[in-house]
This record gives sequence, C-alpha cells and structure tokens, in this order.
Amino acid sequence: MNDTTTNTGTGPGLRERLRGRSELGVCVLLFALGLLVLGDVLTMNTDFAQRGPVGPKTVPTVVGIALLVVAVLLAVDVLRGGRGQAEGGEDVDLDRSGDWRTVGLLVGVFLANAALIQPLGFPISGALLFWGSAYALGSRAYDRDPLIAAGLSVVTFFVFDTLLGTPLPGGPLMEVL
Amino acid sequence: MRLRVLLSLLSATLLVLLVPPLLSSESSAGTGTNIPGLRFMVPNTPGGGYDITARTAARAAEDAGLTGSIEVFNLPGAGGTVGLSSLVSDHGNGRVAMSMGLGVVGAVHTNQTSSTLADTTPIARITQESDIVVVPADSRYQSFEELLADWQANPGSLPVGGGSSPGGPDHLAPMLMAQAAGIDPRSVNYVSYDGGGELLASVLGGQVAFGVSGVGEYRDQIEAGELRVLAVTGPERVDGVDAPTLTELGVDVEFTNWRGIVAPPGLTDAERERLINLVTELHESPEWQEALEVNGWTDAFVTGDDFGDFLAAEDERVDGILRELGL
Amino acid sequence: MDSLNSLIEGFGTALTPTHLLWAAVGVLLGTAIGVLPGIGPAMALALLLPVTYALDPTAAFIMFASIYYGGMFGGSTTSILLNTPGETAAVVAAIEGHPMARAGRGSQALAAAAIGHFTGGMIGTILLVALAPFVAELAVDIGAADYFAIMVLAFIAVTSVLGSSRIRGFASLLIGLTIGLVGLDRLTGQQRLTFGTLELADGIDVVIVAVGLFAIGEALYVALYLRRGTQEPIPVGRPWLGREDLRRTWKPWLRGPLIGFPFGAVPAGGAEIPTFLSYVTEKRLSKHKDEFGKGAIEGVAGPESTASASASGTISAMLTLGLPTTATTAVMLAAFQTYGIQPGPLLFERESSLVWALIASLFVGLVMLLALNLPLAPLWAKLLRIPRQYLYAGILFFAAVGAYAVSSQPLDLVILLVIGLVGLLMRRFGLPVLPAVLGVILGPSAELQLRRALQISDGSLSGLVNSPFAVTVYVVVGLIVLWPLLRRLLLRRERERTPVA
Repeated sequence: MNDTTTNTGTGPGLRERLRGRSELGVCVLLFALGLLVLGDVLTMNTDFAQRGPVGPKTVPTVVGIALLVVAVLLAVDVLRGGRGQAEGGEDVDLDRSGDWRTVGLLVGVFLANAALIQPLGFPISGALLFWGSAYALGSRAYDRDPLIAAGLSVVTFFVFDTLLGTPLPGGPLMEVL
Repeated sequence: MRLRVLLSLLSATLLVLLVPPLLSSESSAGTGTNIPGLRFMVPNTPGGGYDITARTAARAAEDAGLTGSIEVFNLPGAGGTVGLSSLVSDHGNGRVAMSMGLGVVGAVHTNQTSSTLADTTPIARITQESDIVVVPADSRYQSFEELLADWQANPGSLPVGGGSSPGGPDHLAPMLMAQAAGIDPRSVNYVSYDGGGELLASVLGGQVAFGVSGVGEYRDQIEAGELRVLAVTGPERVDGVDAPTLTELGVDVEFTNWRGIVAPPGLTDAERERLINLVTELHESPEWQEALEVNGWTDAFVTGDDFGDFLAAEDERVDGILRELGL
Repeated sequence: MDSLNSLIEGFGTALTPTHLLWAAVGVLLGTAIGVLPGIGPAMALALLLPVTYALDPTAAFIMFASIYYGGMFGGSTTSILLNTPGETAAVVAAIEGHPMARAGRGSQALAAAAIGHFTGGMIGTILLVALAPFVAELAVDIGAADYFAIMVLAFIAVTSVLGSSRIRGFASLLIGLTIGLVGLDRLTGQQRLTFGTLELADGIDVVIVAVGLFAIGEALYVALYLRRGTQEPIPVGRPWLGREDLRRTWKPWLRGPLIGFPFGAVPAGGAEIPTFLSYVTEKRLSKHKDEFGKGAIEGVAGPESTASASASGTISAMLTLGLPTTATTAVMLAAFQTYGIQPGPLLFERESSLVWALIASLFVGLVMLLALNLPLAPLWAKLLRIPRQYLYAGILFFAAVGAYAVSSQPLDLVILLVIGLVGLLMRRFGLPVLPAVLGVILGPSAELQLRRALQISDGSLSGLVNSPFAVTVYVVVGLIVLWPLLRRLLLRRERERTPVA
C-alpha cells in the first residue's frame, strides 16, 4: 500500500518537473522568433517614399518586441510553477508519455509526399502518404491498407484532375500510355 | 496470408500506375496548329486578369478547332514572378506557354528576381487596354486641368488610388503622369487597393481624390454616370468614354496596360514557329474577334521578335521609374 | 412591389426542372467540396468554371450560387466533427462544435449549424432583396479608417478567447501576427520575413495556416498521445434538437444575420471577422457562460448563421455594385465576364430576368441544403466511427491534396507541415490555437487599413477618427474596455449601501 503511493507519487512528480523545464523551450523559441523578426526589421531597405508615422517597419517592430516581452513573462510564469494545460481530447491519452517516434514517422511520410508528388505523380505519392500514415498510427493490415490507399488516391485523382480540371501530376506512365 | 499481401500490393501498384493515364486519355497527333498536350500557365489566381485572358483564349482556340483541349492551370505568386521562374526553368519545353502582361514586368523589378522576361521566348502581345483617370460624379474636379493644378500645388494632399501593388500598372501610370507634369514621383501619395473592385468603392466613396485603373472594369459605372473620366492614358481616345488623352492635355505620357504570351527559353525554331502560328491563327479566328468585343479588349497583336523588342522597351521604362522611386 | 413581382417571375425561372437540377448539382458539389479541408467556395468555383461553359448563363449562375452556399454548409462539418476546419469561415464552428461532438452531441451540433446556415442565408437573402440600394451606399461609404476601427474592436474581442492563461493566449496571438507579417508589404513592396524566397512573397495563405494549425496539428498531436487499445465509440446521438436546445439557439440564429450581412456587403469584410464577433457576442449574451469552451450550442448556432448571411451580403455587393468583396465573388465576377455580362449598377436593368432567377434560386438552394444536410447530420457524425488510424491518415491525405491543388507547389506542403508542427507544440504546451489563427486574419488587415487611412490623410493622425462611423466604434470599444471598471465602482457603491440597509 505504502509502496504504491510513493511510486505513483514520484512518477508524475518527475514528469512534472520535466514538463516544467521543457516548457522553457517554448520561451526560448518565442524569444528567438522575436529576435528573428527584429533582425528582419533591421535589414529592411528604407529607401522609399513613406507617408505618416506608420511605415513597413512599425508593425514588425511592435510584434518583435512583444514576442521578447511575452517570452520573458512566460519564463517567469513557468519558473513560478505555472504551466500550460496540454489539450485533452477523445483520442488523446495524456497519461502516456509522448510517442515522438510516431510523430517523426508521420512527418517523414508527409515530407516524402512533398518530395515525390512531382516526380512520381500524385496517385503514387498520395497512396504512400495514406498508407504510411495509417502504418505510423498503428495499422498493420498489409493485405488491405495498400488497396484502400491506392483506391482513395486514384479516386481523388479522378475527381480533381478529370472531373474538376485541377491538374495533379499523373505519374511516369502519363506520356507513355 | 503472404499471398494475399502480395496480391494486394501488386494490385495497388497497378492501380496507381495504370489507371491515371487511362483516365485522361487525350492524345492526338500534332498536325497543323494542333499542339497535343499544350498547357497554358496563369501566373495569378483564378478570376484575375491573366486568368480571364488565358481561359478566354484557350476556349476560343478550342472552339475554332485550332487545337485539342488546352489545359489552363494557375501558378500564382509574387505578382506573377513565381510562375515566370517556373517557366524559365522549363527549358526547351514547347508545350507550355504563359499568360502575362505589364504587371509581370513591374513585379520582376520589385521582387528582384533572377529570372526575367528577357529569359523567355516571346510569342505575342494580344490585347491592350488604356488606363483612365477617374473621379466620382460629385467630385469638384470637372476637368483634368483643374485636378492637375491642385495636384502640382500639393501632391501629398491628393491621394491617388490604384488597383495594383507598387510596381503594377495602376501604380506606374500615375507615377509616369506625375513625372511628365513636373511632379516629383516620390511625393505622389499612391494608395494601393486590392484590385479594381476595392478601388471602385473608395473612389465612389470619395476616400481618394482620384483613381487610376483600367477602363474595362468601370464601363458600367461610367455609363451610369456614377464616375467621371477626366483623361485616358492611351495614345487614342476610347470609344464610349468622353475624355481626352493625356497627350491632348499637354501631358506627354502614353500608357497602356497590355497582355501577352511568352514561352520557355531554349525552344527550337520549329517549336517557336508552331506556337506563333497557333496564336496568329487564333487572332484571325472569328471566335477570338468575338471574345475581344464581348470583353471590351483592344486588339494589339504583335508577334515574335517585334514583341521581344517591345518587352525590352517596356522593361527599360518600368526600370527607370521604379529606380527613381527607390523600389 | 416591383421587386416582388420580379422575384415571383424569378421563381418561375428557378423552378423549371433544368434549373432545379443544376441547383441540386451545385448544392451537392458545394457541400462535398466544403467538407474537404483547404478547399473553400472560391476554389470550388474556380475549379468548376470550365465545367459550366457548356451551360446557359442562368443555369451556370444558379449552380455557382448553390455551390457558394453549399460550401458554407459543408465547411462547418469537419470543423465540428474532427476539429479540422476546411476553410477559414468555419474555424469558429470548431470552438464549441467539436467539444459537443466529443460529448456525443455531434448530430445536434451539425443540426444547429445547418439550421443556422439556413436561417442566416434566408434572412440574408431577404435583406438582399429589400436593402440592395442601401447596401450599395454602405459599401461605398466605409473607408480605411472605419475598417481600422472595426479591427480594433475585433482585437479587443480576441482577449475574450485567450483561454485560461492570458500570457499563453498572447503568445499564441503573437505567433499568428508573426506569420501574418510574412510577405511583401502591400503598400511599399518591401520584403518582410521572406528570406529572399519568391514563394513567400505573397505571404502564407490563411487557409494553409488554419488547416495546418487545426487539421495537421490535431492529427500529429493525436499521434503523439494516441489512445491504444479498444475505444468506446462515440455515441452518434439523437439527430433532433431538443426543446432546451431550440430555446437556446433561436436567438443566436436570428442575431447572426445582423452581424454577418453588413460585413459581407462591404469590401474587406469577409466571413471570418463577423463569425468571430458573433461568437464573442453569443458568449457575452448567453446565460450559460460556463458552458462556453465545453460545447455551448449557442456558439455554433450564431457564428454559422452569421457565415451564411455574410455570403448573402457578398452576393448583394456583387450584384448591385459589381464589387467583389471576397475571393469567391471575384471568381463569380470573372464568370459573369466570360459570359459577356458586366455586373454593376446597370445589371438589375439589363439582365433583370437572370438576376431575379439567381436570387430566387438562392432561396431554392437554401431549402435544398437544409433538406440535404439535416438528414445527413447523423450520417456525418458516423465519420467518427472510422478507425482512428484511417481517420487521421485521411485527414493528412486530404489536407495535403487541398494545399497542393490550390498552388501546385510542393513548398506549400512543407509550409503546411511546419505550421502543423507549430500547432502540435502549441497543443502540447497549452497554448490555445484560436488566437493564432485570429492573429493571421486580423493582423495584416489591421495594419493595411491603419496605414492606408494614415496615407489618405497624408500622415495626419486625425485621419483615423474623421468619420462618424469610426468614432462610434471607438466609443463602443471604450465602453467595453471600461465596463469592468465601471461595474466594480457600481458594485462598491452597492456594497457601501448594504450595511446601511
């Protein structure tokens, strides 16, 4: 009895502390974004006719400074123990530790689609995107998933390219057949 | 189980490889003016000026039986320069052409792009349109002279509205006017609107002192008496618009917004001739002549090298004025 | 009276079998395309433009109008069910609609949205018939200073959706404003945050941002914490709105058009800002404030009614002035021109029968849409029963299709993914997503209108307050800002009095 309470006590406690620290990463990102925006303002060419007190630099300057201020305030809030409430959801189980491998796979599949859509055509890259995503999300029905993916991709191609007239790249055999 | 997986993979592969080409089976021989698989790029969004020109031209060419179906597609971005750089990189492709116009010339300068129109194969200029200097019916300016006097006295207090971003046709026209009338272009108070529609509201509502825009979009408002045209910028007066040209008024500017067609670089002479031939046949077809009339476009047909020389001259003119403005 | 006669004649044209057929086709296509993420009504119309060349103008425009309204109906469906708005006008529907769907009230949310669209569209179209000339004046009289005043009001309203932690809400808003800065400065042509890439010169399309933050961000976030094992299927729920629901929704339905119609009718109005203002209004007026954020049905009914009414306002400005106030009507205007018809002040005289048939078909289309969408609501709600791995794979798939079809540029897919990752991190660290989308929508327009107003007045700050409209809006803003202060004063006086009594 006593053992279990200590165990469940340290588990979330550790994670809590980790989460607190990782949220400081958000502050760093916001601060970096602010610096980026202000840096862009500094490199902006000013040789043009400007009228009135508000020029093309004004708004970026305000946004950049505000980003720096918010980054600092957020850091203070985090160090004082405040933390963002991660969003809940029906399909979301916040008790699990984050499964970054799945996210990485999805990102890879999505980027592969962006890279392949022009050389291989949409039907192929689209089918790979769907199948790859379903695989990353845990589907292992190898006898069914490729067919679903290919069917969805070809039907979408048909609807967009043939019915709607939005050209999507068709693939390597377009010229041959 | 293994077999089912293999079968599934195989049929999926066949599906994605074979069905798409069979779906769009549009192959025909390239005889006469027919260029099979010709694609027409529009470097701005659907509904924009180049889009309407391209779709109208493609439709007229198909209706006139000059060619099979022409695929019109949009590749918008950065005033047409995203489309331009894609076209330039499509070296030697004789089956693609781009709808373009004066706005692209300006955008090349304002965006400082590496690909310019000099890199393309000029095919033809097809239409042109005069800009108009326009005020609302209740404006105190009855004539261009009155407007010009006030403008020269205090350029900053007379906001000029135009339907294009800096570097675009509606921006260049007032700048050239100002230059010719002895006003420093940098002192011109140009207010940019998102297209002729938004500009129309601000001219009618008296938000700007006067507007400069293409004549075509405002014919109805002019006819209804809601707008008064003080001058037209082209070399000649415009039918149905009771206003003098700038040259008649003593301001030495001739300015028309034109549209044309260019192709990728590196075409063989035969490929280039074929495209020019198609556009020439299109120009002579009754379908195209009717489309010109319906849309109120002025014919301005120039092809090949002559169009190339014209492009170079326009480029120089735009470069001069934008350099002065520091853009 | 005159217009009533013309309208009856219009119904005569609209109710012929062929025209009814085209209206039905448009309604179906519009709903279907609206459901796809990233493809809004403007894109749908542009895509279908060539298809309609074969039709006579009346049939073509009946179809266009049906697609426009259909897209509005369809847009909110994925927003409510999957938290993945397909277009910007439907973003607000997700705030309350999605929690409702998660609580097993998806059908009710969809029904509230559908009836909202119907009511908004109906009232909006009636206003179109009754107020067309007035609308024309309104559209012309609103200037840059007035728009800026409205933007200030909208920014004040944003503070009420910042979520439980203000600082995180502000961080989100600033992320949105930063994304909104990307691109060429519209007034001077300066490059901002484009890093020399041509593809970024036009900025990042707000549709890409909305789909990225919501759809991609949601899918990646779910992947991060995917609940394994057997899942309880969400109950679809009864498709009908109960008495309590109706009692809470009829006022928002009727209020929506009051906000939506005028916004649609003025240039630079659009559907995003009014739907958002409607949401904030309903939140303030509701007796169930505590339910907001957890699935308050008013928060679906009001904004959806507003969205459709703004579409009517947009059509009104297009028909009376030839003024395209949204991308969708810009495409419709282009379509008019390919038929050799010039929309504008003379359109009602010249093409009287076409215009009235079009208006009549708007009514017909709305009835069809309601008849189509109410029974569909429980069917759509079953979408949630698709196995999770296919559902989220499908969301990623269609988001990619939409983004690519719009521009044909693989780079847009990469941008979409990057914004999706931002959305994932925001969810993970408790930054609300909505303020970021609002930042992207409001930031650039607010800056543009502010600078345009100052430019028109040649740099004088008085140019911001030189119209009665702008001054009125600022007074309202002042009252809203000062209200908590005033109330505290009043309460204190009350308290001082109590001991005496």
